[in-house]
Amino acid sequence: MTAARRPGTGTDGVLGAVPRLVFVPATVEEAAEAVRECARDKLSLAFVGGGTDLGLGSPPSRLDAVLRTEGLARVVEHAPSDQIVSVEAGLSLSALQRTLAGHGQRLALDPPFPDRATAGGIVAANAFGPLRARYGAVRDLIIGVSIVRADGAVARGGGKVVKNVAGFDLPRLMVGSLGTLGLVATVNFRLHPLPEARSTVLCPVLSAEAARSLLVAARSAQLEPAAVAALASGGALDLGVRFEGFAPGVKQQGDRLLDLVVKAKLHAERLDEAAAGAFWERHDRVRESGTFRARLSAPPSALAAVVRDAVAPLLAPLAGGGAALYPTLGLGFVCGDPASGPAAAAAANAARDALAALGGSLVLAAAPAGVRAAADAWGPAPSALALMLSLKDRLDPERRLAPGRFAGGL
Amino acid sequence: MGATAQTAELARRMAAVVGARNCVSDASEVLTYECDGLSHGRVRPDLVVLPGSTAEVVEVVRLAGAAGRPIVPRGSGTGLSGGARPVPGCVVVGLTRMRRILEVNLDDGWVRVEPGVINLDVSRAVGAAGWYYAPDPSSQGVCSIGGNVAENSGGAHCLKYGFTVNHVLGARLVCAGGEVVDLGGRAPDAPGYDLLAALVGSEGMVGIVTEVTLKLLRKPEVTRTFLAIFPSTDEGGNAVSGIIAAGILPAAIEMMDSLAIKAAKAATGLEWPETCVLLMDADGPAAEVEHVSARAIEIARACGATEIRVPKDEAERQLMWKGRKSAFAAVGRISPNYMVEDGVIPRSAIARVLREIEAMAKAVGLRVANVFHAGDGNLHPLVLYDARVPGEEERAAKLGGDILRMCVRYGGSITGEHGVGAEKAAYMADMFGPDDLETMQQVRCAFDGGAIFNPGKVFPSTRLCGEKPGPYRPHPAETAGQAERW
Repeated sequence: MTAARRPGTGTDGVLGAVPRLVFVPATVEEAAEAVRECARDKLSLAFVGGGTDLGLGSPPSRLDAVLRTEGLARVVEHAPSDQIVSVEAGLSLSALQRTLAGHGQRLALDPPFPDRATAGGIVAANAFGPLRARYGAVRDLIIGVSIVRADGAVARGGGKVVKNVAGFDLPRLMVGSLGTLGLVATVNFRLHPLPEARSTVLCPVLSAEAARSLLVAARSAQLEPAAVAALASGGALDLGVRFEGFAPGVKQQGDRLLDLVVKAKLHAERLDEAAAGAFWERHDRVRESGTFRARLSAPPSALAAVVRDAVAPLLAPLAGGGAALYPTLGLGFVCGDPASGPAAAAAANAARDALAALGGSLVLAAAPAGVRAAADAWGPAPSALALMLSLKDRLDPERRLAPGRFAGGL
Repeated sequence: MGATAQTAELARRMAAVVGARNCVSDASEVLTYECDGLSHGRVRPDLVVLPGSTAEVVEVVRLAGAAGRPIVPRGSGTGLSGGARPVPGCVVVGLTRMRRILEVNLDDGWVRVEPGVINLDVSRAVGAAGWYYAPDPSSQGVCSIGGNVAENSGGAHCLKYGFTVNHVLGARLVCAGGEVVDLGGRAPDAPGYDLLAALVGSEGMVGIVTEVTLKLLRKPEVTRTFLAIFPSTDEGGNAVSGIIAAGILPAAIEMMDSLAIKAAKAATGLEWPETCVLLMDADGPAAEVEHVSARAIEIARACGATEIRVPKDEAERQLMWKGRKSAFAAVGRISPNYMVEDGVIPRSAIARVLREIEAMAKAVGLRVANVFHAGDGNLHPLVLYDARVPGEEERAAKLGGDILRMCVRYGGSITGEHGVGAEKAAYMADMFGPDDLETMQQVRCAFDGGAIFNPGKVFPSTRLCGEKPGPYRPHPAETAGQAERW
């Protein structure tokens, strides 16, 4: 069978590059056949899932074809008692979570736009949300993958068991590679039980220094939050800490965090279900808002410097801007609508310099052309660029997979 | 120049870099390096060099490369898959002299160490401050961090906490041409491919790691341990499934069958009934752990546990774990020889697989003791044999291989934590197809195009990295019939 195809239109564009041809395969075999056809005809090619992270990276230098994964949306295997699932790339996160919830399980990943974000896209973009604080990132939950290589060959790596060290680690190599090493066709994840109870403590209007001290105190007190997010609010941070697990543990940890808050002469409250829902929805709105979104990274201890030297300058030129920070991870996003492209670009470059000085980075996850004109999506070339080039040359020697979209011009 | 003269010349140059006492070429002295923790299949290296710094490693790699010698990196030599087994004509590069802890940063929770640092010494260095390094292979008192990185080592507690790959934040790598590359860093998600993930578990085939930054964890508030005794592994296996199905994520959940218990008793004097023992750790915040522990004990009872033992103090807890951790070596008490296997199966298949192993062993007249990380289905079947009986070692090896193939048939893996190394390369083709292996080979070749690092490991046949795309030019070794082309 050959994949369904149609001419490309403006809505199929990847960062402004519009393909001539769009493939919509219904099976992995069809996808492989489409990739082989592109290899034969020397077509450049990008892979598109739900399109939630299409703004990430630089515009491809050329784009003849797009392969959409929407027809690859099956749960291949769910083994509840082994807590693993194998899914096709185009399955949306919320569809997956619905299936898993029926068995009291979940994939412990909560990136934005769950209705649209797909398994393959989440892997390719290394997408994540607040749960990363406890459960780690995609690389900590992925256990296997099958990919379609640039030449159309289908290769598997990893497996369907949580513990497995056989062979080179293809699954983790695909994480965050934005489709420049191959199409993520199927993904195997380890799963976690749905928590019996959850509870959020909100510490509003904290300085970055106070937020950091409180989190260090919580760490010293051996608390183990499932999710931690700090939302910018005026010049301060609203810090939400969520505990999950069995009811007695959730209750005790919340109590102990409140004790620490009192000891630090701060204010906090345990939110009821509605208020907790509202806080995390506010978080989601920040992550999902704006034509400009920057991903910030720095060592967690540098929170105050990050807020002062990166978050504040980035927010200044944004209308309706917001920041969602994950202070235990050293990651965060600043999102909004730039009133002026050059001003937002200048802010991004300044923030990037500040983060680089701390050992971190800034990546544009979305930006209008006016910002991109004066700010690179990735910043300085990675220090291991030579090895990355070598890897790209091995897996995509003709540089046909989203050429130029990835870091270092890959 | 003849091979011996060439080796002597190379030894002279290496000695000039690392110092004469750290360059070993004497036939009797290199004997130590003929094998690692897997003692059969010994190969004598031509030369063993023990560099003391990144700069020395760079020079050593350059010299070996210029002399066309394969390089076999080696840590403490405790690996169980022959990952550090020399190849003919090679230079073994031992990292045991590089054992400094370079930097501790408890603010951000990491430590930067040299590769020769012993796993347990990392936790010891930060333990007083309330931190530890999570991956805990049974050999943690002697195995090195560099070796852990090469093998992506696990341990009893990786069900909850993950493997080495989940705990390495950065690494300094000396590549084939002597280039020094830093991967990862102090902040997460640096732009670019996750080469650190490709490095961890690459079994010494992409370069030599000279520094590693490890994530540290705060010690959990409490740990609760209990031991449950079951009439057989059937009930024990069901209890494991029941505990996991109840939404409990134990820090560790280990099982031993009757033969393994018999061995452990002989070694430690523990009073355990020789049926089936399950040992579980729960750790974390106090109230959570008390709840989880109580639930797990209820489930174990409901699944047929005949006895539950809760250690009365830390000493008794350590003794229970000693019984488990000493199981490999203890098997020596009940059998003249044994082979350690390391396969993975879906945990729900544990009871079935154990019965199948028993039948397979019976059919060939051998015994298998089973010790395993039950939570993640990682089996360590210990195949017992007597090397003095002609043909028995071969039968044992074949049984071990058949067990691994059965693991693959159940949807599992040929190795959960020991690595593929030299020992299991032949089984890779049972688990992966030609395109899978070729793709992995391309990843390896992206790092080491000349395949000078640890050749002959992981992949089922000796192959070369091949040329860059373009007109086909056979490699000299290929025309000589020594290798196939990729």
